[in-house]
Amino acid sequence: MSTATINDSHAVGHHGDAHGHDHHHQSFITKYIFSTDHKMISKQYLITGIIMGCLGMGMSLLFRLQLAWPDETFPFLETLLGKWAKGGKLDPNYYMALVTIHGTIMVFYVLTAGLSGTFSNLLIPLQVGARDMASPFMNMLSYWFFFLSSVVLMSSFLVETGPASSGWTVYPPLSALEKAMPGSGMGTTLWLVAIILFIVSALLGGINYITTVLNMRTKGMSMNRLPLTIWAFFLTAVLGLLSFPVLLGAGLLLIFDRSFGTSFYLSDIHLNGVGALSNSGGSPVLYQHLFWFLGHPEVYIILMPALGISSEVISTNARKPIFGYTAMVISLLGISFLSFIVWGHHMFITGMNPFLGTMFMYVTLIIAVPSAVKTFNYLATLWKGNIRFTPAMLFAIGLVSMFISGGLTGIYLGNAALDIQLHDSYFVVAHFHLVMGSASIFGMFAGIYHWFPKMYGRMMNKTLGSLHFWLTFISAYLVFFPMHFMGLAGVPRRYYQFSLIPEFNIWMDVNIFITLAAILGGIAQLLFLYNFFNSIFRGPKASKNPWESNTLEWSTETKHIHGNWEGDIPTVYRGPHEYSRPDRELDYFPQYEIGDGEPEHYHAPATAPDTSYDGKKEKATTVFFSSFAHLFSLRRA
Amino acid sequence: MNTILKLTLKFTLAVVIIFSAATLISDSVDIQGISTEHLSAEKPWVGADEYQYDPGQTVTPEKTLSSKVNWAILVFVVLMVLVLANAFDISKYTAKITGRETVNQNNVNKWIMLFFMIAGFAAVIWEYQTHGAMILLNDSSSAHGVDYDSMFTITLVLTTIVFFITQALLFYFSFRYAHQDGRKALYYSHNNRLEVVWTFIPAVVLTVLVLRGHQTWKSVVYAEDNYNGKMHSIEVFAYQFGWKARYAGDDGIMGNVDYKFISGKNELGLAYKPEVDSLVVDLKKQIAADEASIKNLNTTILDGLMADFTAAENLRDYKNMESVQKEIDAVKNGDRLDELKASIKRKTKQIERILAIQNDKKLFASTFTSAAMDDIITQEIHLAKDSLVTLNFRSKDIIHSAWLPHFRAQMNVVPGMPTKFTFRPTKSTEEAKKERGEEFEYYLYCNKICGVSHYNMKIKVVVESQEKVNEWLKSQQPAFIKREMAPVAPAIMNDTLKTSTDTIQKMVVR
Ligand code: HEM
Ligand SMILES: [Cu+2]
Ligand SMILES: [Cu+2]
Repeated sequence: MSTATINDSHAVGHHGDAHGHDHHHQSFITKYIFSTDHKMISKQYLITGIIMGCLGMGMSLLFRLQLAWPDETFPFLETLLGKWAKGGKLDPNYYMALVTIHGTIMVFYVLTAGLSGTFSNLLIPLQVGARDMASPFMNMLSYWFFFLSSVVLMSSFLVETGPASSGWTVYPPLSALEKAMPGSGMGTTLWLVAIILFIVSALLGGINYITTVLNMRTKGMSMNRLPLTIWAFFLTAVLGLLSFPVLLGAGLLLIFDRSFGTSFYLSDIHLNGVGALSNSGGSPVLYQHLFWFLGHPEVYIILMPALGISSEVISTNARKPIFGYTAMVISLLGISFLSFIVWGHHMFITGMNPFLGTMFMYVTLIIAVPSAVKTFNYLATLWKGNIRFTPAMLFAIGLVSMFISGGLTGIYLGNAALDIQLHDSYFVVAHFHLVMGSASIFGMFAGIYHWFPKMYGRMMNKTLGSLHFWLTFISAYLVFFPMHFMGLAGVPRRYYQFSLIPEFNIWMDVNIFITLAAILGGIAQLLFLYNFFNSIFRGPKASKNPWESNTLEWSTETKHIHGNWEGDIPTVYRGPHEYSRPDRELDYFPQYEIGDGEPEHYHAPATAPDTSYDGKKEKATTVFFSSFAHLFSLRRA
Repeated sequence: MNTILKLTLKFTLAVVIIFSAATLISDSVDIQGISTEHLSAEKPWVGADEYQYDPGQTVTPEKTLSSKVNWAILVFVVLMVLVLANAFDISKYTAKITGRETVNQNNVNKWIMLFFMIAGFAAVIWEYQTHGAMILLNDSSSAHGVDYDSMFTITLVLTTIVFFITQALLFYFSFRYAHQDGRKALYYSHNNRLEVVWTFIPAVVLTVLVLRGHQTWKSVVYAEDNYNGKMHSIEVFAYQFGWKARYAGDDGIMGNVDYKFISGKNELGLAYKPEVDSLVVDLKKQIAADEASIKNLNTTILDGLMADFTAAENLRDYKNMESVQKEIDAVKNGDRLDELKASIKRKTKQIERILAIQNDKKLFASTFTSAAMDDIITQEIHLAKDSLVTLNFRSKDIIHSAWLPHFRAQMNVVPGMPTKFTFRPTKSTEEAKKERGEEFEYYLYCNKICGVSHYNMKIKVVVESQEKVNEWLKSQQPAFIKREMAPVAPAIMNDTLKTSTDTIQKMVVR
């Protein structure tokens, strides 16, 4: 049976034959589909995220073709899109649809669910030392709501009038009025349904993450010994829990306006082909307030897990403690708090009272301070390190670079005065693709390369990984850096074609260049896909702790078992970043390893006692109710 | 033996693939060449509202050649991946044969880090020089634009310095401290004094920026506060997909407007009694027609559609058959009925509301002044150089955004909510042409996604002397009267009379 010992001092604590893992039969369905195991759910999130990512990336290449060669025809487009690309020329309505769904997919489906869903699920139980999530059943539901939501979103491509096309922010009245643009018909209805399902998924996941982190830490795992990944996931979940319901509200009101004749967002509208609408008294700006109340925290919901992952990866591979652990945590807390009061910086020129603009400008520039602190701490961590360039490390370094480049342009945009000119220009596109898009995707890749051995028990190819990194890194800069200058020259975003405005023709070469660079980026992702799927089946077998890392997940066996640890859950004796301690031979010191002269039993009790996990297949109903018990009992005996 | 065989095979395959890809690419690039000359700079601009996108228009035979390029790109992508996958398999096999790792990952990556930093910085500097020269900076055509540009420059300088320092440290550290066998990293977990320092420094820098920013912002949004020169105000009206400007007529007063008054002949919804009356008559007629349609929906209308369908069927006109079928479906499943009912309801409500204004004496008097009659609606915006102008924005349908990049001016145009932007143009079109070339014109672009022709929603802006503006205005026709008959003073005039936008803004403030 269990051949493994957790570590020397804890091998004694086995339950011996109480383990039922090996003769514990699971059907294909319970194991791979309706699984309640957090590791399987994490893989489900990852694979779905990767598929959505490919779709999103493909869409961006399609509309980049249009921007680079507005006067050309591409016969394959007609084959692919039918009536939306008659004669091989992308229809402007469809261009908008692609931009909209690309944004939605990347922001919500890839960088929120794909990133935070994958790694919160994988790492929270493993790194805090828990058998599973507080509520495995809700966790499963969370994935399936996400899956359903993805299906609904993609199904809008099958609608006759096309998918939602009013931008990923779906501002009404454009998105509220079917006659304003074709995509605002059935397409937007599906978009809204998809987002509501998504919110349900995010909330179910978030409640779970928070509960698990607060209540299910193993012995010795006090909050100040949590790896920074966990801090990041935890705060991300808090942000989500507090802000997604507001988006839900915004979406519901929009549904009312669309279908039930209310006027929350509509007033004084005379629409071509319809006439004067009866709606009066509503305000489109209200929607924007509600949307950005989620929208701004959302960008940090996307970024923070990536920052957490890169902290862990950088510390491990620089073989150094992360510099300023406390400062890092305080920065995350600061960012989390501030991100709730800066939403108005997306609305400086909506006609909102200029005084409000002033206030939002002040708080927005304050939020740049903790961001700067984090950057300096990363740099200090690298200083005098002994850096191993694993693919994960490369991507983490790439993240820091992107975060600097994109963060600095935030200082322009956060300045209300400067934003007058920059708003909705390509400068904004450059800003958020660097700081959010690229940085977070890099964090996600760092996570995938780093924890792949934990997820699949095999190693990914390093050389391909390096190549993937450099191609992606270079292409990301080539694509997004020139966009700053286009924006500063007055080129607006979300334009189907620039050649109708003579002044923009000087940017034609740049547009072609960007598209070519984007294609290069696309090729690089194919390398990743090959490496990823090939390694799942054919990669070399991974050892238990391939990166010689400190955190708790590396104390588990490579083969996944329900309940994570064969015997007792290990006790934690110190913080997660004790690398290269001068008093030790080895350059790492796992959290779960007891050192000389350290007390055998650490005094901090586990937040959740380990009710010996027998791995027996529980009935779904039992799991469900027990998970609620877990959820609501803050203290369990 | 087996491995060596495989290796040779794969190698040959890779070579073949590379060669065929190279040939394909070079062929197609030869045909096409990447030039931008043929792009439609001179394409005549079609009025945005009439603008119908027609893909057929732009396709000329020689352009379809480039489809080869696309196929080549596609094929190339696939081949590249195959090649790379093969190449890496090869390195795996060589590793197997020779028994050692072919490359030292750490060493290679470390040098690429250094190289990337140097090449990257060179590229950034090149970008600043080449594309930086193309941006709008220090060439503002408005008074506040000068402040704006200096604010921008300060931010640019500061962030550029920080950019170079932090990126240099990042890549240099990565290079310098790459893994070496036998070396141990420095155990250094925190330094609170350092944390304080690097919290404090950005905080101070940002405070400076934010204070400057606050000043600039105030000078822009409260531009009229400390100004005692000439002031104008114009209404800028946005609709899917175009712009119109409205000037007060000879009376110097802007007429009232209401979205409920908008009709084919009264595009901006001016409060002009005869037009509004005829709109009411029109609406009543439409209601009657809708009611008739409801009555005949399942009889004559359906029969008519059926007949159309049969006719189309006989002609094998499948497209027509499909669209007629859709209409038949709509009749049968009740959609059409719902539509008609909604339309009647909407129009009845509109009439009700219009009559409510007309029947309220006070409201009537303050709404239907004669000020609207002589308002001038134009297809261009003409601004007087050096005098302060307020653009009052109004949207007919959805949110648009009026962006005048050369004037560093932008404001959203929101239905149901008046917005405005005040600024002082300081560079005439003539002067700008001298700097930017004869073809240059100022434009106001739409900068908020607003539908299918969003990318072609613009209006020409001309800055010239006050005299020229007046002259131009004289050449334009007033909305509802012939120039000769324009009254010198409004017929109904009382003290409370205000321009419509003023009243609305007052209401909002209250
Ligand atoms: C240094 C701190 C930052 C500041 C001061 C800042 C400021 C701003 C401002 C003012 C805008 C609005 C620009 C406009 O629409 O006119 C903006 C847009 C945006 N920012 Fe940031 N930002 C910062 C960092 C970030 C981070 C860390 C992320 C994401 C992780 C992010 C993601 C975005 C996104 C997605 C948008 C565009 C939304 C849209 O209009 O579609 N920003 N930023
Ligand atoms: Cu924001
Ligand atoms: Cu528009």
